[in-house]
Amino acid sequence: MMRAALLILLFVAHPLPALAHKVVFSVYPAGDAIEGELGFSNGDMAAHQVIELFDTAGNRLGETTTDADGFFTYAPTRPVAHVLRADLGAGHVAQAELSAEEVAAILGQGEAVPDPAAARTAPAGLSEADKAAIAAMMRDEMRPLRREIAALREHHQLQSILGGIGYIAGLFGLGFYLAARRRLAG
Amino acid sequence: MHIVDGALANPVVLGGAALAAGGIALGLRYLPLERIPAAGVLSAAFFVASLIHVPIGPSSVHLILNGLAGLVLGWAAFPALFVGLLLQAVFFGFGGLTVLGVNTLAIALPAVIVHYLCRSGMRAGNPVIAALWGGIGGALAIALTTALVGLALTLSGGAFFLAARLVFFAHIPVMVVEALLSAAAVYLAARVKPDLFFTLKGAS
Repeated sequence: MMRAALLILLFVAHPLPALAHKVVFSVYPAGDAIEGELGFSNGDMAAHQVIELFDTAGNRLGETTTDADGFFTYAPTRPVAHVLRADLGAGHVAQAELSAEEVAAILGQGEAVPDPAAARTAPAGLSEADKAAIAAMMRDEMRPLRREIAALREHHQLQSILGGIGYIAGLFGLGFYLAARRRLAG
Repeated sequence: MHIVDGALANPVVLGGAALAAGGIALGLRYLPLERIPAAGVLSAAFFVASLIHVPIGPSSVHLILNGLAGLVLGWAAFPALFVGLLLQAVFFGFGGLTVLGVNTLAIALPAVIVHYLCRSGMRAGNPVIAALWGGIGGALAIALTTALVGLALTLSGGAFFLAARLVFFAHIPVMVVEALLSAAAVYLAARVKPDLFFTLKGAS
């Protein structure tokens, strides 16, 4: 009895991500890795969540785990399309895909055709390390922006709430009208 | 509570859609002219209730109100809750369009069950007893909904079974809140407008 009560208390007191609504799952190439974030539309991020990677045929390529902020990285080894899948329980499954071209670009194959014009105009004296540092800086700067855009996209606008209620009023009004007409005719 | 697209196996999705369609067709037959405005109001209440997050501990849950809809509407809860779910899927992305059938079944079937279980208690004529049954109905509807969601997940693969049980425990706070809310609503309706729970009788 005591154990059962403790168990229930544990479940009630534990912040279950399954209670949130929509899973926000974004994936993008970042330098030489696949980077992404996983969270819920209310802004909570999914921490320490296992993400599995498959190819388009459903073969498992590997897995990675999100950090405390819901971020994850994965270094691809083969230039094929990567399907990322996360199961957050209670029917919340998120899936995202990175195309073969994007993965190939991460691996430095295929797409990475050097542009001679760009190479000429690029300022000299930027070593590979500098470029990597700038790229890392850019990603850090972009991250909060990305998150804000994702949150904004999921934001429940007052207009859509009122719009939904309007639809309900209209639908049931239409039903009311049809039922009333049938009654008057009959 | 809403199952999202892609979480369920195809047979479960199709079966849920077929059963939900049957329920809606049956519900429309139980929706006479006099009940349409009540169905519309409860549909709108259900639509908005999911946006009301109740903070409990470090987490938050949202209301569902399917028990209250079932107590008032009976089988007519199927079309009313379906409309609410459809608009939630379109406007807010809750659940998804392909799993709409399963979600409708998981939320509207408990409403109908609760209606038949609590019907006699609601008609006792005493507002306090009616409120008590309303509270029981409100909590029971959530419990049955979690059971149906769990069943749908389990049928799609055994890996979901643990998660399905977790859903039940996670919704114990919602059950408490819904029980209180349904009891208060039923008490008010029994005092102010007792015929709300009777007019469905004999309707075709």
